[in-house]
Amino acid sequence: MKGRYAAAAQPRRLATGSLLAVALFSMVLPAGAGKADRAEFDRLHAEAEQARKKADSIGGQWRDTAKFLKQAKAAADAGELDKAMKLARRAKDEGELGYRQASSQKGNVQIPSYLK
Amino acid sequence: MTGKILAGVLGAACFALAPAMLHADPQSDLEVYQRFFKEKYPDIPFTQFADGAYALNEQMRENWEAIEEFPPYGPFVDSGERLWAAPFANGKGYADCFPDGPAMQHKFPRWDKEQGQVVTLSLALNQCRETHGEKPMKYKGSPLVDLLSYIAYQSRGKKINVVVPKDDPRAMAAYQKGKDFYFTRRGQLNFSCAHCHFKNSGMSLRTDILSTAVGQTTGWPVYRSKWGTAGTLHRRYTGCNKQVRAKPFKRESEQYRNLEYFHTHMSNGLALNGPAARK
Amino acid sequence: MPSKTTNKKTDQTTGRTARQLLPALLAALMLTATAALAGKHGAVIEEGKSLTFDRKKGNCLACHYIAGAVSPGNIGPALAGMKARYPKKEDLRARIWDVTEFAPEAMMPPFGRHKILSEDEITKITEYIYTL
Repeated sequence: MKGRYAAAAQPRRLATGSLLAVALFSMVLPAGAGKADRAEFDRLHAEAEQARKKADSIGGQWRDTAKFLKQAKAAADAGELDKAMKLARRAKDEGELGYRQASSQKGNVQIPSYLK
Repeated sequence: MTGKILAGVLGAACFALAPAMLHADPQSDLEVYQRFFKEKYPDIPFTQFADGAYALNEQMRENWEAIEEFPPYGPFVDSGERLWAAPFANGKGYADCFPDGPAMQHKFPRWDKEQGQVVTLSLALNQCRETHGEKPMKYKGSPLVDLLSYIAYQSRGKKINVVVPKDDPRAMAAYQKGKDFYFTRRGQLNFSCAHCHFKNSGMSLRTDILSTAVGQTTGWPVYRSKWGTAGTLHRRYTGCNKQVRAKPFKRESEQYRNLEYFHTHMSNGLALNGPAARK
Repeated sequence: MPSKTTNKKTDQTTGRTARQLLPALLAALMLTATAALAGKHGAVIEEGKSLTFDRKKGNCLACHYIAGAVSPGNIGPALAGMKARYPKKEDLRARIWDVTEFAPEAMMPPFGRHKILSEDEITKITEYIYTL
């Protein structure tokens, strides 16, 4: 019984907590952000582009990475920086994951055990 | 001095040994792959693997046979026949490059020692054109697909017999690259070609049945209902790569030509049956 | 006699009401809370189900049978009896996140490691699949 109450209460506490956090964040963000965001985006976009190229250099690029980079740029140009950052981060993740995937198999391709 | 020589000899020996250890023997690969499918499908005659997924499912096979009664690739074959016969500006034609006539699909892909690369039929056709001062064809759509369709039709019944010459280590390296490609996990979905087309062949991906790796190269070009037209093996490779969310390579790129080399070798002994119709 | 009985009954009822007012109230409160919790959990499971079925998200039916689903694939094992197969829910979640950690040759995409789905989406899918 007590557990149920605790379980029911917890999300509310969490919700209050995150609400507070969001509130704090939204108070803090606009102050230091604004102009820095575009620069931050450009930096992230450049990193993502580099990650994509690195993956591509060993045949490990994923299908949508270049598309995300393009969309990110377009969003940034349209002033939608949150969306732009999200897309660029995704492209960077993909570049890094694709590189790791391909490099981990270079000279180490796993033939299924049932085919040996 | 002696030490140096010994080291040099040892080094050379390692060098000579390394490729032999790293590289599989195509012949034993072939035996392993074909035996795998023969054992997995003891009731399916080996020749039937050339029919792809239709070898594995009775109902799909019936639908397919109905389609083959009015082959959708017919117009491509007819157009290809005209293209084959049409002379180049210099008065020569394809027959001058391929003296045995259009029934020659079984000679490709082949290792070309002089060029030091795998030459596919599409590449050979374009090299023929360039030799005679013609512009190469695009590796997509007409006229290439039409010509390939006509050649495939004329080559029906010829047996696949891809050779990896032992006297050129570069040929073995190309085969090995194709093999690596085939078994490499790729794209966001992290699939290799083998994941779908070996152990999981015959299984359903929703309503599609996964075809067997052996037999996948016999019927090209293929008229795919999904495409609404006939297309090349390399177009299908592009589609496969995209399906696993990987960036595809260019048609007739070194990667895809090496893949075709390995992939076709796997079907040695099967008869060509292109053009074919697929879902 | 009857009146006595009635009186007694009335007395008892009154007494019960008085004595059990607090627990009843508590019970009612508890029920509301439980229902709210179950409702929230139910919503998570529903979301998990639609993510599981969505071809652009989990697309689990491409390879897995789920009772009642339309034209599921059969490449992977049927999704049933999950609680018996994974007494710990987090073990199921870990396999959805990256099955190759447990079976290096497995075909299933690493939904978490390759960021095919978000952590939140994986949690919701796990909640749904765990009900199967």
